[in-house]
Amino acid sequence: MSVPAVEVRNLTKVFPLSLKKEYLVAVEDLSLTVNAGEVYGLIGPNGSGKSTTMKVVLGLMAATTGSTKVFGIESRDVRSRHQIGFLPENPYFYKHLTGLETLKFYGKLCGLRGRELKDRADEMLALVDLEGARNRRLGGYSKGMLQRIGLAQALIQRPKLVVLDEPTAGVDPIGSRQIRDLIFKLKEDGISVFLCSHLLEQVQEVCDRVGIIARGRMWREGPLHELIAIEDQTELVLRDASPELLAKIGRLIESEGGGAELMRSGHPRTTLERLFLDIVRESQEAKVKEDREKAAAAESSKK
Amino acid sequence: MSESQVSSAESPAIPRVPVFSPGRIWVLTTSTFTQLVRMKTFYFLIVFAILVAGASNLNLLYTSAQKLRMLKDASFGAMSIFSWLFAIAATAVLIPRDLEDRTLYTILAKPVPRLEYLLGKLFGVLLTIGVALVVMQILFTGFLFFREVTVLAEERQSLEAQGMSAEDIRAQLELVRAQGVQWQLIYALIAIFLKASVVAAVTMLVSTFASSTLFTMIVATIVFVVGHFHKLAAGYWMHELSGSLVAKLVVKPIVMIIPDFRVFNVTENIVGGTPVDAGTMLTLAGLALLYVAVYSAVALYLFIDKEF
Repeated sequence: MSVPAVEVRNLTKVFPLSLKKEYLVAVEDLSLTVNAGEVYGLIGPNGSGKSTTMKVVLGLMAATTGSTKVFGIESRDVRSRHQIGFLPENPYFYKHLTGLETLKFYGKLCGLRGRELKDRADEMLALVDLEGARNRRLGGYSKGMLQRIGLAQALIQRPKLVVLDEPTAGVDPIGSRQIRDLIFKLKEDGISVFLCSHLLEQVQEVCDRVGIIARGRMWREGPLHELIAIEDQTELVLRDASPELLAKIGRLIESEGGGAELMRSGHPRTTLERLFLDIVRESQEAKVKEDREKAAAAESSKK
Repeated sequence: MSESQVSSAESPAIPRVPVFSPGRIWVLTTSTFTQLVRMKTFYFLIVFAILVAGASNLNLLYTSAQKLRMLKDASFGAMSIFSWLFAIAATAVLIPRDLEDRTLYTILAKPVPRLEYLLGKLFGVLLTIGVALVVMQILFTGFLFFREVTVLAEERQSLEAQGMSAEDIRAQLELVRAQGVQWQLIYALIAIFLKASVVAAVTMLVSTFASSTLFTMIVATIVFVVGHFHKLAAGYWMHELSGSLVAKLVVKPIVMIIPDFRVFNVTENIVGGTPVDAGTMLTLAGLALLYVAVYSAVALYLFIDKEF
């Protein structure tokens, strides 16, 4: 069996509160495992201990008790960071550096040099669609662009584990969708993803397994399909069903008895995000069509 | 996002990460240098050039030697103020800013030991100070050289008009030349740099436990000021309070903790025409290195377990 990407065992993290003899238990006896190659989502409300857990995994904080390992190496060991790419929530990188310089800076910290570094930086800029802004200083980047350059720096050394803390915080739906697609791509390439978020819809879309944390404790954990399945309900999705057919199905259920009941029927709804993206895509396609028509009209008038 | 190879799905082996990498420190050093340069730090050089140009064109009622000495005094004074002020301000800002902007998270989440991060920041500040001082020295030496040539010509003319003998004129001009461009001026530059290094190391130590940039700046400035007279004051108090508990618990620790900045004040001797030997400079360099090493070690001790 392969070594887990992240292994948290009985983690407790206690913060002393100022000079008083009071303590805040941020995380209490928390255990979780992120298997190699899976996308794991840690969800919970603000202040539930997600970021603290993440910081302990990254070695930015020490556990009060318990242990955290990354691919079998203790988190406090600097070697564990070779396998990690980290994107913090609302990242602000050095504003005085350009996008390309930023990637080269982080690449060099990971030991990349020369041609390899240059090629990898170019590759990452292409991956996050920032080739056009490669020579622009980060001070002039939008929030979404910062998030994307943050992802690029996280991936610069080809890590085996990517830790994302609220990766779509403050990002518009298009940027959010791009980040989601990238997570799928990471998964395809066998990279483990440890994602912290309170955007349930996003987590539901991308995660294989989910842990739900509240007040520092793990409340539920398991494969997503198991967690979100409503055991006593069965869903039927029909296309082009006439009202008569639906009525017939209803009558059949009633006649069968045995306590079965038709809960509801109607058209499945799209999400607001999907609707927004469809409209944007439609408007872009319409613009392309208009431009083409104008160009054709200009061409014919010349003739 | 475009299609691109993110990574391959191999099972990771335990990586070899050098415990101490001068290469990574250099990356952090150059990044800090770039950061400080792009913060328009070197605009100070324009102010310095104007100051030196002004000082070299002042024609007050001074002798020729005094005119040159005044130019050296003004230049080294400005270089000294710039170096310690910059050492405090730049060092106090860098680490807290990285923390506030969460840039520190992304750096320490890479395989970067905390010692390397601290040293990279410190060396970046020192590199900036060093480059700025060298540029200032070149500017100042240029002005001093042209001023020396002018002053010597005027002096020769004046002495010849007074009908002095060639021997006396040569002796008089030698006195003026002693205040001109000399190799000793490089020692003054080195002494200023060494002092700034110690100031930067002290400031870095304070910034590892301080709660704000302002606090760091105030404490570092107090240490800098106290470090110029505490040995003198301590001598007095130790004499007055000899054997008392106050002397043991207050005076002695202060003398031990705060560096003695007065020992680096060799610039006044050099400007005054009293040469400083290479042995003294080596001792100063050794002392500065020791101070920097000790303060950096304590800073690391406080920073290594710091939680972000």
